[in-house]
Amino acid sequence: MEDRITFNFQREIERLRSLCGADYVALATVQPAERRFELKWTHVAGNLTDRHRRIKLQSGKGVAGLVFKTGKALFVADAEMELGKENLYQYPITVAEKLVSFGAIPLYKYNRVGGVLLIGSRKKDGLTEEHFREFRDHVGTEFGPFYSKEMVKE
Amino acid sequence: MNENLLGFLEKLYDNSSEAIFFFNQEGKTLYMNEAAKSIMAADVYEQLLAGREGAICRICRGFTSEEEQRTCVACYMSDPAMEVSSFQVYFETEGRGMIPYSASIETIDEERGIRVFMLRDLTEQQRTQEELHQKLMLKRVIKAQEDERKRISRELHDSVAQEMLSSLVDLRVLKYMNLDEEAMKKLRQTEGSLMRLLDDIRHLSVELRPATLDDLGLEAAFRTHFKSIEKNYGIAVHFHPELESKRYDSEIETVVYRVCQEAVFNAVKYAGVDEIIVRLHEADGSLHLRVADDGVGFDVEDGTPIGTGLGHYGMRERADLVEGKLAIRSEPGKGTVVELAVPVEREDGR
Repeated sequence: MEDRITFNFQREIERLRSLCGADYVALATVQPAERRFELKWTHVAGNLTDRHRRIKLQSGKGVAGLVFKTGKALFVADAEMELGKENLYQYPITVAEKLVSFGAIPLYKYNRVGGVLLIGSRKKDGLTEEHFREFRDHVGTEFGPFYSKEMVKE
Repeated sequence: MNENLLGFLEKLYDNSSEAIFFFNQEGKTLYMNEAAKSIMAADVYEQLLAGREGAICRICRGFTSEEEQRTCVACYMSDPAMEVSSFQVYFETEGRGMIPYSASIETIDEERGIRVFMLRDLTEQQRTQEELHQKLMLKRVIKAQEDERKRISRELHDSVAQEMLSSLVDLRVLKYMNLDEEAMKKLRQTEGSLMRLLDDIRHLSVELRPATLDDLGLEAAFRTHFKSIEKNYGIAVHFHPELESKRYDSEIETVVYRVCQEAVFNAVKYAGVDEIIVRLHEADGSLHLRVADDGVGFDVEDGTPIGTGLGHYGMRERADLVEGKLAIRSEPGKGTVVELAVPVEREDGR
């Protein structure tokens, strides 16, 4: 939370949510070593429940864990179709918030993924690839202490 | 021979459910009883009585030899010298399909070469035996699986994780060697990656089979498991153990743990809830497990499963292994309750 002094994450994701007209925007950050580097949804906007607070993900698990591990953006236009109804439970944030289409991008810090930014819609095709691109443009290359690597021109 | 015995023999012949045939030296049927008549079609019966060659072969489907389940090779019937007190043979019966019989063939009159052939229905016995066999096999498969999981889990925990830990300690020593800032930053990152890897291995080990189950028992193992459920799926498991850390037979603990794991996992996957209640208590000489949610539920009578359908089957089979009783109660929209009761011997309550 000390980041809040220099950069207000909550205000930023709420700004992103209204800018993109999205149902849900959330930020997961990697917890420090004493919290075993778990991924937690630290800031959310447009949430239905507080279930996100219970979620503490390992690398490779869930939406945040997947993006964290691969370091690549993830876009899903139709969760049930693409991830399979049977496997949805492995992406708890989508179940808790009833997200149907969503996208997530890695946020870097010192060349490592330090956070994951998620945008989602509760409607099918509520978030299109075009919307997702706009969202990434809004996020820009810098997000507080993080930077979005793929935006950086080599 | 006295009058009474003859009477009894006659009654045996008439009323026994065993099929009795008398053959002469040439293998022709002399007499057969009602039970024998009832298993064959009328025309076969006529042919047999008429002494037609090979009439019995029309309904016989072979006997069980060492080589084959059903064979005609070295048929006992064709060799008059053969005396076999018991063998298994299959007959195509009228109305009931192919049935296994325990058969015996013996010469009862040396001079005239009269032989008696008797058939006893084995269906029921075979079914029982098959069931017993299947249960035994399943028990062994489950045990083998548990043992293997235990082995790999221990290996990961005791060997791989330990090695990794000592590498981590080595790495930490570097911190005190006057490295420049750049190297320190890199070092901290590597340390972080290693720690994460170590955690992954530990998780894998626990997922395979929690060592706490063997070392500390059900309560401790459940606590760890439910904590990881909460973290991984954002679902709270309210756990009410009322056992005071009591220990049970390892087999029973394993069954209770696995059944609970499956029931909770089903609730996570299908119930659509964010809270699950698990109660563990002992009453009336049984260990009771109750997993309840107030989620979407399902139609218990409906045979088509939502998932693979193996979950419920597996739970029942595991419960069976320790003479446990499993009850699954659910209704669409009314949640699901899974209850398991396993008898535990009082005197064995270590």
